[in-house]
Amino acid sequence: MMEIRNISKRFGIFRALHNVSMRVQAGEINAVVGENGAGKTTLMNILFGLLPPDAGTILFNGAPVRITSPAVARRMGIGMVHQHFKLAPALSAMENIILLAGRGLISGGRRLVAARAAEWQNRLGWRLPLDEPVSRLAIGQRQRVEIIQALCAGGKLLILDEPTASLAPMEVEDLFAALRSLAASGTAVLFISHKLAQVTEICRRITILRRGDAVYTGELAGLTHAMLAEKMIGGNVPQAISRPPPPVGGEARLALADVTVKREASIVLHHVSLQVHSGQIVGIAGVEGNGQSALVECIADPTLPAAGKMTLSTTRDSAPQRTGRRQLLAIIPEDRRTDGLVPGLSVTANMLLKRHHQPPFARWGFLRFSTWRSFTLRRMQEFDIRCPDLDTPVGALSGGNQQKLVLARELSDSPEFILAVNPTRGLDITATAFVMNQLVRARNAGAAVLLIHADLDELLAVSDRVAVMYEGQLSDTDWPHTSRESIGRLMLGVRA
Amino acid sequence: MAAGENIVTFLAQQMIAAAVPLVMAGIGELVAELAGVINIGIEGLMLTGCIAAYTAASCGYGSIGLCAGILGAMALAAMFATVAVSGRADQIVCGAAINILAVGASGTAWAVFQNWRQKHDMSVSLPHGAGFHKWPLPFLSRTPFFGPALFDQYTLCYVTILLGILVWWLLRYARLGLIIRSLGDFPEACQAAGIRVRAWRWGAVLFAGGCAGAAGAYLSIMRTHSFAADMTGGQGFVVLALVIFGRWNLFGLTAGCLLFGFINALQQVLQTARYTAHNRLLESLQHIPFQWFQMLPYAAALLALAVMAKNRPGPRALGRAWPPETPGE
Amino acid sequence: MKIRQSLLSVGATVMACAAAFGAVLLVLWACGYPPLGILHRWLIGAVGNSYYISNSLAETCPLLLTGLAAGIAFRSGVLNIGAQGQFLIGAMVSVGLATRWQVTPAVMPTIVIAVVGGAVGGGLWAVLAGALERWRGVPVVLSTILLNFVAFYLVEIILSGPLQAHGTSAPQSAEIQGRYWLPVLIKFSSLHIGVLLAFCLAALLYVVNRQTVFGFQTLVTGLNPRAAQLAGIPVARQQMTVIFVSGGLAGLGGAFQVLGVTHFLIANFGSYGYAGIAVALLGRLNPLGIAFSALFFGMLDTGALRVEESSLGLPHNIADVVKGTVLLVMLLLLAFINRRRISPTAKVDAAATEGR
Repeated sequence: MMEIRNISKRFGIFRALHNVSMRVQAGEINAVVGENGAGKTTLMNILFGLLPPDAGTILFNGAPVRITSPAVARRMGIGMVHQHFKLAPALSAMENIILLAGRGLISGGRRLVAARAAEWQNRLGWRLPLDEPVSRLAIGQRQRVEIIQALCAGGKLLILDEPTASLAPMEVEDLFAALRSLAASGTAVLFISHKLAQVTEICRRITILRRGDAVYTGELAGLTHAMLAEKMIGGNVPQAISRPPPPVGGEARLALADVTVKREASIVLHHVSLQVHSGQIVGIAGVEGNGQSALVECIADPTLPAAGKMTLSTTRDSAPQRTGRRQLLAIIPEDRRTDGLVPGLSVTANMLLKRHHQPPFARWGFLRFSTWRSFTLRRMQEFDIRCPDLDTPVGALSGGNQQKLVLARELSDSPEFILAVNPTRGLDITATAFVMNQLVRARNAGAAVLLIHADLDELLAVSDRVAVMYEGQLSDTDWPHTSRESIGRLMLGVRA
Repeated sequence: MAAGENIVTFLAQQMIAAAVPLVMAGIGELVAELAGVINIGIEGLMLTGCIAAYTAASCGYGSIGLCAGILGAMALAAMFATVAVSGRADQIVCGAAINILAVGASGTAWAVFQNWRQKHDMSVSLPHGAGFHKWPLPFLSRTPFFGPALFDQYTLCYVTILLGILVWWLLRYARLGLIIRSLGDFPEACQAAGIRVRAWRWGAVLFAGGCAGAAGAYLSIMRTHSFAADMTGGQGFVVLALVIFGRWNLFGLTAGCLLFGFINALQQVLQTARYTAHNRLLESLQHIPFQWFQMLPYAAALLALAVMAKNRPGPRALGRAWPPETPGE
Repeated sequence: MKIRQSLLSVGATVMACAAAFGAVLLVLWACGYPPLGILHRWLIGAVGNSYYISNSLAETCPLLLTGLAAGIAFRSGVLNIGAQGQFLIGAMVSVGLATRWQVTPAVMPTIVIAVVGGAVGGGLWAVLAGALERWRGVPVVLSTILLNFVAFYLVEIILSGPLQAHGTSAPQSAEIQGRYWLPVLIKFSSLHIGVLLAFCLAALLYVVNRQTVFGFQTLVTGLNPRAAQLAGIPVARQQMTVIFVSGGLAGLGGAFQVLGVTHFLIANFGSYGYAGIAVALLGRLNPLGIAFSALFFGMLDTGALRVEESSLGLPHNIADVVKGTVLLVMLLLLAFINRRRISPTAKVDAAATEGR
């Protein structure tokens, strides 16, 4: 159905894609796998008309085509389901479908589109509340809306970008069932992911990208998991560092008792109680948007209105009023570019964001830049941050280096309490291992770590205790004695 | 307007007459804000509409004046869009620049026009037939109370009502409305749907410019047949406040505009009543400096915002440039 | 790298000024006015002799202070565009303290009290807008604009009430007695000491911005308030301080203007507040840049007076046309520069992190 030949794309000196060729057949589920930064996103953007390729051709139904814009891609029958959904939250699901699938400015073929949407819903066995505003839908439902949107727009080839990234395990099963039934009815599916296990479960053909090269493309049958992983990562898989059992009776560093937070008249945190002890990583699993951000804000900023009690204790004798509460906390926020860093400022300024007002970095209200430089240089060496020079704006660094900078700022003075939210987002496997190892190392050194993470597998790999967040409520599990499946069920609010 | 019942009719009529330019400009600003562009230069656009309409109408035809008002404001709106939409500059800052430019340009144009008028021995007022006069609708205008208030107005009043209904319907039911709302809510959705965000925002800004121009023309060649340098007197800013007050909803906006039309009418009545007072209430008002009444609309706008603005965020992408900032800027 | 960038931005600004000036003259030429004649008179009126130069400098003072007011606010993300109202309130308080509400007959204390009172008055007027945002969620952009109008009528009310000059029915204050005027630097000129102080304040703010904790924190807050909050910077308190300082600077401008130049007050007191926004942006929010752009605008204003006096039939508003055009041209130029500056590395990063 679609074939791409020798596609290349570079950005400046960076080679994002190099001579990539692959084929997608109708009625088949195909996969593109690769680490973050391997070129998956670039390939997808080229197929969807958001980026022009530097070289190479794309054949659609045998004829060479030029996909110059998303509109062209759609007219050809390419439908895209984005990882970060492109649905307007204030509009209803149906309105979003009409926006994409409709034609013309007045009615937009409202009736026709609605009928088609109903038909697809029937065929896939879904029952979505299409008249609700998207902002009120759960993540899984939004994804289904995007799938129906693409199908209603006449999608013959469905590209799904990391579709399982924020789904609970059960939802993943449902999604796969839907994709299989779509493929059976003749739709081509292109599944883009960095999770090998899921790919082998569902796909027939696979393309593996590594640093812009297609290192393998062809049938999946006959390849073991280990062989695939070796192809994808290319050599040594970074090792996780050892994790001795947590000390018994470590004292509670963070204690939340019955915390309730309301926002705009709806309750986002519902009587949450939680204790994090030193030497322990407490993982909070859950599908995004179930109150995690409220929990983070509540811990990070105690001035926000909330009912209940929160205590943060320390063993250090330095008076809190001198150092400030923030200095006791290490926060690795979810989105480093909007919450963790100031992209327009230099590496140095970002490194000092938390401490700039304390001696020796400032005295009598004046900044002492000489101390800033040496401090930054030391931290950069310690955490292996690479950048041209200290005055480079942080926005120009790669994602991995940005995250390392946040880690260096937050973790380097052995904090007693660490709050980490989705800390491996968008990082490749080496950087992911680095981040996770840092957290484990801090825990081994006696820090209390609260890890809120959407990636269940990574979360389970490092946590000593796991709790699940669903619709603002926190339910404890006795991990590691519970199964992954029952945690997955809790993520959907199903009690065992 | 001496006796009691006449005052009520007069107030209603004046309320509508004062609300018309606010609603007209408000419709445009509402559409632009829903599309994600806030233009605080709307005051300047209205002022441009005033002067352009007035000078053009001096040729003797009011309709040409109206067109000139609309086109003049649209030209300035196009400058705004070039910088703020295409150039991705800060919208608030661009709006402020537009205001400064409009104040200066209208003042200069007015002086130049006066000179030119003197040189060519033209009269200092608009020629006969150049300004619009009220156009009472047959039959309707003679219904009691509502008749004179709603149907004995300038043409633009009726146009505004029709435009309001049209825009409301489009925003609510048409795909065009979906496009506009998603532009301001989540432009990424438009991009994915193959809709060109910047082109559509341009359209919205031009539409807002046209509306503001018409509102300005209403002030100079309909409601009064004159021009003054501070003719708009902050009405554009009041419109901005009213869009928020109305929670980005056409009905809320209209209600707000009527409220301010009423305050404005009341202020006029009270000001004139100082000299023609018959009853005790009005007499007691005489001792209040009339500036309090002039201040009333702005203070009321502030008060309305203080009551209404809390926890009511506008369009999510309001004021944000497209495409979003690339890192490393 | 850094030097090249600042040269680039200075160059862009100068280019914007020249281009805007050229464009305005071109339009006037098309309307049948002699561009060279206008330019000549403009230059004479701005810097033709010592009298004009001192006038230009005196005109720079309020522009500089309102420009600094807007600059410090914008830099920290507080969109205070109400310098006009704060300027007026400052002038009103100041003229009151120097005439009707005098605390002491002594000369120096009265001047100091009037100046400080004006600044505090302007600051408090601005804090009103800050408080409305903090507790009622009213955007500062709107509240400050609306407060401009409220301030205007409030000042008119007070000028026709408690502060009205004897023997007049117009809303205007009595003239301040000569001994309470701001001392002048050069005899028989309008060059009062406030001009010097304003330039010193610009230098001071430059140091504050670059070298102090406060300056760093306001910068971070302006660039990314969420990150600032998470980094433990007290954003809300910070912004309230900034808006007070901002309003205070505008109020100080009003105080200097009334004590040093006009010596009495009417509500129609020039549109320095609005012009301050343009000054701040032309100076790229940098206090030194603001000093230069205020100087430029000051010369623009005094030069335009001379253009108006001449028989060409052009009003002094022509200066406003140039101001607005300069601002638009500069915004456009900056957009163009920024687009070119988005470097390949940034694009790589965008591509790499897009799939986050």
